[in-house]
Amino acid sequence: MLTFIVKRVMGLVPVLLIAVILTFLANQAVPGDPIAALLSDRSGDAVLEARLRAAYGLDRPLLEQFISYIGGILSGDFGLSFRFAQMPVSQLIGEGLLITPLMALAALAIAFPLGVLLGTLAAIRQNSWVDTGIILVLVAGISIPNFAMATGLVYVFALQLRWLPVAGWGSVEQAIMPLTLLIIPTAAYIARLSRTYMLEVLRTDYIRTARAKGVPERVMLLRHALRNTMVPLLTTVGIILGGLLSGTFVVETIFNIPGLGSLAIQAIFARDYPVTMAIVLLFTAFYAGINLLVDLSYGLLDPRIRVGGGGR
Amino acid sequence: MHLNHGYAKRRRGRAFFLAAAVLGAALFAAQGADARNLKTSIPADPGQIDPITYSELVAGDILGNMYEGFTAITPEGKIRPALAESWEALPDNMGFTFKLRKGVKTHLGNEFTAEDVKATFEALLIPENKGGLNAGYLDVVEGAKDMKDGKTKTLAGVVVVDPYTVTIKFSKPDVLFPVYPFYFMDKTAMAGGAEGFLKASAGTGPFKFVKWDRGQNVTLAKHADYWGAKASVDGVEFLIVPNADTAVSMFEAKELDVVYVEQAALRRVMKTPELKELSLQAPAAQIRYLGMNQNLYAPFKDKRVREAICKSLDLDSMITGTLQGLALPLAGQITPGVAGYNASLKPIAFDAEGAKKLLAEAGFPDGKNMPPIKISSTDPNRNEILYFASQLKQVLNMPVEIEVVERGSFIKAMNAGEVPFFPWGWSAGYPDGMYFLSQVWYGPSPYNRARWKNAEFDALIEEAQKTADNEKRYALYNKAEEILVGEYGTCPTTVRIQVALQQPNVKGLALTAFRFLPFNSVSIQ
Repeated sequence: MLTFIVKRVMGLVPVLLIAVILTFLANQAVPGDPIAALLSDRSGDAVLEARLRAAYGLDRPLLEQFISYIGGILSGDFGLSFRFAQMPVSQLIGEGLLITPLMALAALAIAFPLGVLLGTLAAIRQNSWVDTGIILVLVAGISIPNFAMATGLVYVFALQLRWLPVAGWGSVEQAIMPLTLLIIPTAAYIARLSRTYMLEVLRTDYIRTARAKGVPERVMLLRHALRNTMVPLLTTVGIILGGLLSGTFVVETIFNIPGLGSLAIQAIFARDYPVTMAIVLLFTAFYAGINLLVDLSYGLLDPRIRVGGGGR
Repeated sequence: MHLNHGYAKRRRGRAFFLAAAVLGAALFAAQGADARNLKTSIPADPGQIDPITYSELVAGDILGNMYEGFTAITPEGKIRPALAESWEALPDNMGFTFKLRKGVKTHLGNEFTAEDVKATFEALLIPENKGGLNAGYLDVVEGAKDMKDGKTKTLAGVVVVDPYTVTIKFSKPDVLFPVYPFYFMDKTAMAGGAEGFLKASAGTGPFKFVKWDRGQNVTLAKHADYWGAKASVDGVEFLIVPNADTAVSMFEAKELDVVYVEQAALRRVMKTPELKELSLQAPAAQIRYLGMNQNLYAPFKDKRVREAICKSLDLDSMITGTLQGLALPLAGQITPGVAGYNASLKPIAFDAEGAKKLLAEAGFPDGKNMPPIKISSTDPNRNEILYFASQLKQVLNMPVEIEVVERGSFIKAMNAGEVPFFPWGWSAGYPDGMYFLSQVWYGPSPYNRARWKNAEFDALIEEAQKTADNEKRYALYNKAEEILVGEYGTCPTTVRIQVALQQPNVKGLALTAFRFLPFNSVSIQ
């Protein structure tokens, strides 16, 4: 097991390297020069431009810039921000680091059981009004874009009913709408999948056998059926997390949450390469890490899939 | 059994919302009991909060409440003395002697003296400090170049005569020095070099800096020893709200007292009667113009072609159609509310027939023989170039295509004089029309992006720079403007109207051509 874990962690390195290379190249390819953006109206000042370019190391050849960047990352130094004078990128990101992944995980932690519950309910009452009702809600939840839902929620709960604040971060009420916005599409997606897998599982022989044996419905559901839907469901957690992370970009912008999502959007517009690269790397690492955990958890759920060993 | 289950769930759901509402109300009420801060929004984190490296608009909104210069502006846009009680020009306008106000206490508790003036100027010019916008105004001071080249750390042209008198000598005449928006800092903050002043609150203004929670807000507290009208609110909170719509929603939910409405939310404000009623409007100190570079497109060399272009624009329709009526047609290149504005100059009238005739006279009847041209600008100006291109095609049959360019590269190209046809603008850095004329249309100016040159115009500007008497100088501005417009050196387009929202219980807010005045005049009932 240990060798497996080590091997998989090592496997992250080429993934991250490719991510860095791609982002680095993408930043260079995008039209717009960060120094020109920084100078704005003063771009006629050649002396100032040369000074700034040298200060940020942008006058060196690309390969050299890239190598020195890699060296920096390994020691935790992501460089200086282009937008905020003298501010290390790690400081800017540090502030958002506590917020965005936590929000994404919290949303996942609530959406997952909620989705499984709804999906299972729909499956065991298949084709009844419960099932149809739930499916309608799910389709709405997946189809309505989050910015449209956001406007609706803000209008109803903040402006009309005055129950919740419009935006901001720091209090419990301020977290309710943003989290809801992240939870709804996620739970809807999980519920759809869960319903499908559950329907499949309920038709299998061993479930029929268990029923014939007289196993109580509830026990059978929890012990046997649900367990078997978990493995395929967990596979999707990785993908879902990706969707959640990109969902935070929109949610944070709408609700003024000072997390990595809104920081990334602002950095992209300001051509703040060091910040964009750092955030891409962080998200990639986070995403890869979660997927690794998911892989490892298979072994716990299904002894047949003891990864690295037998049943492959 | 299932029915009961559902009912219990609903009851619990309702109870939860009720609890959340009560909690919310309690928290809201508790807020009222503490210090009453004025809450407003800014669209992004400020780039900096010190007056030395200060270089962008958002920072300016905050710094204007903490720092002051020799002079300030009144709600009507006129100059009044601030840290300087009076000033006298040296012979030939080669400098000024300022008599400073006595008894002014800085945020650090020290008395403001001439030493602080000298220290601030020197800090702006030391290259390592990366002096920002305000450093540009010091180029005219004797010894400034030596400081910028790193040869010395003291500014020879600034002489401290006594604690309340300072004489500043120039290397060339500049009559507008007193109105430049300097931000004077307490010299003790400068002692620690750049590290020291980047985070200090060392101004003389009605508010002092408390904290900056990046991405969340910037908080100021009232300066109890302010020399002028002390603030009646306890402080100001600038909440960082990148989304213009969210800011207006927050205002509607009473989470903000005052909002400067950004472009994206103007339509919503104008279409909602309750919001429109609470709005303040003032024309911005910002010119907009259509640049026509004669070096890059031969037909622009003919005055008749330029006149034809200007006459084919129906600015009133453009304003109603694309700007929600929130603009005025601009007659010259100085806007209302800025010193030197010529109220008797009339905007170029829309005259399609006249324009067609002129173009034909110039040898391009119905647009024939005209080489294709692109009108370019950045994405926020997309509607504007669409309008111009379609109008010119429709009226003159001119072969115009649109081009949207990324901001950084566009500004660079404009500064290099490489853009042939473009709408752009310019915001006044100080409250005098000279800013527009000398920065945008004076021949040698690096920001004369259309590269228009007229010797008579340049001579008038140079003379104005030496004319201290306001009325005489404004007359020179008027003459220069008349030449610019008479020669159709550009087509002045519009002046934007700023919109701000204030809650009914907020009094004393002043929206001028230069955005908000410091908030010490504001009270919340």
